[in-house]
Amino acid sequence: MYNDKLYSIKKTDKETLRKWYHLLTLGRALDDRAPNYLRQAIGWSYHAPYAGHDGIQLAIGQVFDRNTDHLFPYYRDMLTTLSAGLTAEEIILNGISKATDVAGGGRHMSNHLAKPEWNIHNVSSSTGSHTLHAAGVGRAMKKYHHQGVSISSQGESSVSEGYVYEAINGASKEELPVIFVFQDNGYGISVPKKDQTANRKVADNFIGFKNLKIFHCNGKDVFDSMTTMVEAKQWVIENQMPAIVQANCVRMHSHSNSDRHELYRDDYERGYAAEYDPLAKYRRLLLRYNRFTEEELKQIDDQVKQEVKDAHKKALAAPNPDPTSIFDFVIPDPYVSVKYPEGIHNEQGEPKKLIEALNETLKAEFRHNPDTFIWGQDMANKDKGGIFNVSKGMQKEFGIERVFNAPIAEDFILGTANGMTRFNDKIRVVVEGAEFADYFWPAMEQFVLSTHDYWRTNGKFAPNVTIRLASGGYIGGGLYHSQTIEASLTSLPGVRIVYPSFADDAAGLLRTSIRSKGLTLFLEPKALYNASEAMTAIPDDFEVPFGKARIRREGSDLSIITYGNTTHMCLEVAKKLNEEEDVDIEVVDIRSLVPLDKETILESIKKTNRALIVHEDKVFSGFGAEIAATIANEAFEYLDAPIKRVGSTFTPVGFNRILEAAILPNTEKILAAAREILTY
Amino acid sequence: MKKIGLFYSFNSHKTAKLAERIKEEFKDTSFEALNAENVNEKQFLTFDNLILGVPTWFDGELPNYWDEFGPAIEDMDLKGKYIALFGLGDQVGYPENFLDAVGIMAELLESRGAVIVGLTSTQGYSFESSKAVRDNKFLGLAIDFENQAHLNKERVQQWASQLRKEFI
Repeated sequence: MYNDKLYSIKKTDKETLRKWYHLLTLGRALDDRAPNYLRQAIGWSYHAPYAGHDGIQLAIGQVFDRNTDHLFPYYRDMLTTLSAGLTAEEIILNGISKATDVAGGGRHMSNHLAKPEWNIHNVSSSTGSHTLHAAGVGRAMKKYHHQGVSISSQGESSVSEGYVYEAINGASKEELPVIFVFQDNGYGISVPKKDQTANRKVADNFIGFKNLKIFHCNGKDVFDSMTTMVEAKQWVIENQMPAIVQANCVRMHSHSNSDRHELYRDDYERGYAAEYDPLAKYRRLLLRYNRFTEEELKQIDDQVKQEVKDAHKKALAAPNPDPTSIFDFVIPDPYVSVKYPEGIHNEQGEPKKLIEALNETLKAEFRHNPDTFIWGQDMANKDKGGIFNVSKGMQKEFGIERVFNAPIAEDFILGTANGMTRFNDKIRVVVEGAEFADYFWPAMEQFVLSTHDYWRTNGKFAPNVTIRLASGGYIGGGLYHSQTIEASLTSLPGVRIVYPSFADDAAGLLRTSIRSKGLTLFLEPKALYNASEAMTAIPDDFEVPFGKARIRREGSDLSIITYGNTTHMCLEVAKKLNEEEDVDIEVVDIRSLVPLDKETILESIKKTNRALIVHEDKVFSGFGAEIAATIANEAFEYLDAPIKRVGSTFTPVGFNRILEAAILPNTEKILAAAREILTY
Repeated sequence: MKKIGLFYSFNSHKTAKLAERIKEEFKDTSFEALNAENVNEKQFLTFDNLILGVPTWFDGELPNYWDEFGPAIEDMDLKGKYIALFGLGDQVGYPENFLDAVGIMAELLESRGAVIVGLTSTQGYSFESSKAVRDNKFLGLAIDFENQAHLNKERVQQWASQLRKEFI
């Protein structure tokens, strides 16, 4: 029970015991000292004390091998990261948000400790969201036959989140080498675990999962925690399956410095929690079993005091972040096209459909780069390749290891994509984010976090992911098969958003997206997949840079700025007005919403002095509002008429074709607006 | 009957209260109460008849003082020792781990040759699982202050009578 364990007070060698005591004492000194920085207005305004989790956090850090493993610590994992190798100085630099903070240069909240270059990942504050990243890294380990483990560390309340279920379900289904460590201190801030789930040990909720082993340990006890974590890691590597380690801890203090646990825990309970101080217990054991003398321990205590003092001094002297650096690392530099710097070509070959352009580009990129992967719902089953068959034939050519189905779990689809690209920088992932753009919302949690990664890590990690979404209406699809959702997403810095309307641009933008680092949202106007008006000739190697609009028709009387489905309507209106009223309309297809080619738009306005903005999305709060504001701000003096916008009504898209037609923009509505502007 | 050593935490509340009841039952016998928080090997091995107060902490753990003494117990020869355990738990609030600590302690003591005495019926209790149950009996006296405090006196009296027969 004690001595037969891998680690026990009697048989663990003295040097190891000394190392642990040093880490435990140093960690606690930092944990206890952290609130002082806030009191003195130096920083560390968020601190979630770990006291009471000492055993399991020491153990996680000790079993983590930075050469083979990946670690996803949560905001309470100070000792975990210290035990994994961070120094006291690095902990304080993070706490007081200095420019030299190794987690992210002071950009992320304090107490979110990380060191991305050691695979100790910088994760968001959304509790447990990194379980999906851990599963994604596990998938990469499996696919690349890597010997290591991915460790997700989290509080027990995080398991109430649906995405944690998705991560564990996925790890179980795919048999991934992931250890999910639940540090159970009984509370989610003030919410007791009885209000989270029926089982007191939340790991037991997963008993029915296949390919998953559940370990329980006393997270307050160093020896039990060390033994369990070592055994769990060994089991995961040997069996290539996931494990859960449920570590019973106690929260000795409040949740954080903005919480007061005396409001919901009585004196008895707080006393009981303090009584089981894991560090005090470890110290008593060292003395009781004569492994150390008081003098020896005091010597380490003194050493720790000096170490903390030195670290404090160095950290205080470290530089603060430079306010002019805020625009650094919003998104990585994209792939640069040498042959097609403007994203324009003179190919005269056979026109191809937009869906063919996507399919052929995907295949060409998968041939070009063996580290490309694609998954999504309906992605690959015999002759089916994607909900609209965009990826048809890919699994046949590239195999199930690179082209595969995902469960109906959009957050999982995107979260594991983010995670997988953490394994190495060569990997490029394409996902069908949802069956239709309308179903992307469950993935918003991961989408938002993914837009933050590059900035939050101060440029150390960006998810190299292209998210494809079949978007828009004109198919009689109703409320849940016809939405175009770009306006809700363009307000997030950290993602490029493109929306082609022709086959060649679809091919060129997709190639650039897959070859670029960072996150790209690739919106596909599904009504144009097979539409003749979107067909074009396409050079085999075509590339379209981000942020390069394309003038699809030149004119001098009015600029129509548009993208996606409505580009073709605008061209039709331009043709009609030219033929019937001898008006020359310029049609600018912006192709990229983010980054936006302001230069081409403004040059066009300077030429025509009139602006009409057209898109399929709602006018109210649509992306056109941003374009209109840009023109008003930067080209007001060139305008001879008010800027007009045409788009959907501020309603959902109705299913009946009569309703759909009344709601979505069409040539008549665009024509009317164009004529109105031309009267000025 | 040989002298009885009663070990429990003097700083505890409910465990100590129970210990007082037990003392009362054995006031006519040779009896010594010792603080489990300071227990050492020599004291422990002095007695052939022992009563240990073993409340369950957290979700089914030994209290610190017994857990820390565990490695020492593991090196002891407890042949010829008759040990009775009383445990405290909350069968409604913590039905998954009712009296687990008694089960953990009993297993440890038995592994060193001790004879566990004072087994009691599980009838009259309602819980989901317990490491303290073997063949439908608790490996000691089960006390639930939270839900069945009114039965404490009777349960202690019956247990004490039983121990008088089972101790040597």
